[in-house]
Amino acid sequence: MPTVAAGLFDDYDPETFFDEVFSGPGEVREHYTGLLDRLRRFSAEDLARRERRRDAAFRSQGITFTVYEEDEGIERTFPMDLLPRVITAAEWEVIESGLVQRVTALNRFLDDLYVGERAAVHDGVIPWWLVTSSDGFSREAFGIPVPLGARCLVAGIDLVRDAEGRFCVLEDNLRSPSGISYVVENRVAMTRLLPNVFTDAPVRPVDHYGRSLLGALSRVAPPAAGDTPTVVVLTPGVFNSAYFEHVFLAAHMGVELVEGRDLVVDDHVLYMRTTRGLKRVDVVYRRIDDSFLDPVTFRPDSTLGVPGLMAAARSGNVTICNAVGNGVADDKAVYAYVPQMIEYYLGERPILPNVDTYLLWEPEQLEFVLANLDRLVIKPVAEAGGYGITIGPKATEAELEACRADILADPRNWIAQEVVSLSRHPTLIDDHLEGRHIDLRPFVLTSDTVEVIPGGLTRVAMRKGSLVVNSSQGGGSKDTWVLAARPTGEAEGDTDAAAATPLLEVTGDVEVTS
Amino acid sequence: MRLDIRYRSSFTYDGLVRESQNELRACPCTDEFQQLISYRVTTSPTAKVVSSTDYWGTRVDAFGTRAPHSSLEVLAEATVDTRDRPLPMGMSRPELLVEPAFVDRHAEYLERTPHADWGPEIVRLAAEQTAAAGGDVVGWVLALHRLVGATLRYERGVTSVGVPVDEVLAHGHGVCQDFAHLAVALCRSRGVPARYVSGYLFTRDETTLPPADAAEDPDDAVRVQTHAWFEAAIPGHGWFALDPTNQTAVGQRHVKIGHGRDYADVQPLRGVFSGGAGASVTPDVEIRRLPVVETAAVPPPGRLLLEQDRRDQQRQQQQQ
Repeated sequence: MPTVAAGLFDDYDPETFFDEVFSGPGEVREHYTGLLDRLRRFSAEDLARRERRRDAAFRSQGITFTVYEEDEGIERTFPMDLLPRVITAAEWEVIESGLVQRVTALNRFLDDLYVGERAAVHDGVIPWWLVTSSDGFSREAFGIPVPLGARCLVAGIDLVRDAEGRFCVLEDNLRSPSGISYVVENRVAMTRLLPNVFTDAPVRPVDHYGRSLLGALSRVAPPAAGDTPTVVVLTPGVFNSAYFEHVFLAAHMGVELVEGRDLVVDDHVLYMRTTRGLKRVDVVYRRIDDSFLDPVTFRPDSTLGVPGLMAAARSGNVTICNAVGNGVADDKAVYAYVPQMIEYYLGERPILPNVDTYLLWEPEQLEFVLANLDRLVIKPVAEAGGYGITIGPKATEAELEACRADILADPRNWIAQEVVSLSRHPTLIDDHLEGRHIDLRPFVLTSDTVEVIPGGLTRVAMRKGSLVVNSSQGGGSKDTWVLAARPTGEAEGDTDAAAATPLLEVTGDVEVTS
Repeated sequence: MRLDIRYRSSFTYDGLVRESQNELRACPCTDEFQQLISYRVTTSPTAKVVSSTDYWGTRVDAFGTRAPHSSLEVLAEATVDTRDRPLPMGMSRPELLVEPAFVDRHAEYLERTPHADWGPEIVRLAAEQTAAAGGDVVGWVLALHRLVGATLRYERGVTSVGVPVDEVLAHGHGVCQDFAHLAVALCRSRGVPARYVSGYLFTRDETTLPPADAAEDPDDAVRVQTHAWFEAAIPGHGWFALDPTNQTAVGQRHVKIGHGRDYADVQPLRGVFSGGAGASVTPDVEIRRLPVVETAAVPPPGRLLLEQDRRDQQRQQQQQ
């Protein structure tokens, strides 16, 4: 066996960052030792060959997303690094309980706003003007109840690890969080490309996501739907950047993937057109924006939505997931109030802290931020996908001036945050490893219980030194392992690669290594 | 004054329409000065009508049909009792406009909205008028109200909803929606919360009110369009309603449907259809004054907030 790969790790310098694998030069953290030992058996050439197989497999399955800024939108594969990220059972316990707490509070907040008494506003926890000035606040959603109060049925919460290794919440994604398909597909790919690295590792499974999602969606169906409600996935269509994921979700749940034109409302009941006539629909897992859902209520020019859908939801004949109007709770300025929401609604101390955030309508904070633009991160409050962000330390003088003008034109539209020195993880670059900044987006499902899928999407800022991990900004990903607390033999599910059942078949031209 | 209102809208399509989905906001609201006695919506072809109360407190009737049709008619019939709305008594200091609690409560009535946005000319005019009016918000609002009347000439059909207020101001003429939007924009530009009101006006002509002596009112039905006016929030007093088109305070002849940030929040009828090539809509309102037999069941004053009413109703339902 070639020993070249030993150098793979020997030259690695964790520098001054919090490194996920190395606690110091040459000092491997305990939960990575087994994985590294197994990886050392591969030569650089072995790994390079597997990278080529990975790329071919992802391309042939269409596991892609679209990058919009590069002229007219380019289909890209989402590069998965072959070195997995490992999270210990103890670390995960903190993350999981923190996420359950946070998403529970966010759901309570949304229900309070839309069908409740707005208690948090009356009690001064959050200013009313901040709510009403949020682009995501939907007056059209007022008074529409969601069974079980599961307004964020699917939440994707972005976590980062600071210089001390502490997990913090960077932002909440409560409208249409995407990326879960990569979580599942990355695991499938890893078990096929490097099955041996899983040996003896009690890795908790992620392939049950489709079942979990379908279960949650079924539980929020209108009572009249009975025991087997009809669920559909509503996609904007093939031109959407996450279309692959919409196909994936429908396939994994075993439900129909539909577009707005496949649905019709009759007497305030939603139906889908089928070859055997109309079929009643009880739950819509939609991946289109609020303002496109129903041209009667929202933008009259929307061609993606279903006329009459909102009235059908209001009549209690169909449940829309995620609920309409969730954007008010993932507004980046409202984000700053989530710790207070947790204390207010749950009477608990927040388990996962926020990143320090400055609110620019406060004169002193604005003054401070304008004086320190070159060392802060400035984000627009309503954008997703990393668009519109200025990272002070990396911005040019002209970019900082433009940013300053934007802030002064509409302070409510921006927040500033301290630069978090995101943790780094060794990542395979050509034939060697380099540290790259990473984050973590776990997925949280809410219905009668709150379930966190073990791990989530670890995103990697592939450009050297970059702090932007968004897939739309050219990021990559890693298979993310949460280790079970129990000994290997008793671990649940597919800890053994041989037992893993890939849900999407890898096409024939790809070799499967055993 | 007890009034009987028949609001009728007819869509006539060029060709056969396969589907039509609509929302109607035509129901007179019940508030401190107005009490809805009865309300009924019917459509032809017949459709199931689902009613709800929207965020602003306005009743919404949603209806749609998938039966092929070449015309669609909706008829809303209401009986409502109205009373005069008293003018704010006493002064209101402009400093109170910037009190954080007041600003927070009225935040959404202070913002720019697509139909009530303003440019430098509106800022200049509003500042000029309020400076001349002195240190009283009631005086400010009356001055801005009069400014709208002095600046705009009523001319039916010269604007359609969607013309920016700045342009309306430059042209110098418009319809009731334009008068209301301009008043709202002028108020907001000075930090006075203002909202757009949709309603009906009992008169032969939208711009002509009969003499104040009610005994001389015509008893027969009159045909009008839906009307629009505005309300401004006066610190320490509540909402002050004025009709800039007629240069008058809002009184018994005004029947309020609802309010919002601008027209889009209280648009009387909105909807979509598919299948036909085009459509024409004819709204038609008929208002008839009725003799009041028993004492009108107008609730006692002192309950101004519709939000509070909504919360109370929700409390009841949650206890079930």
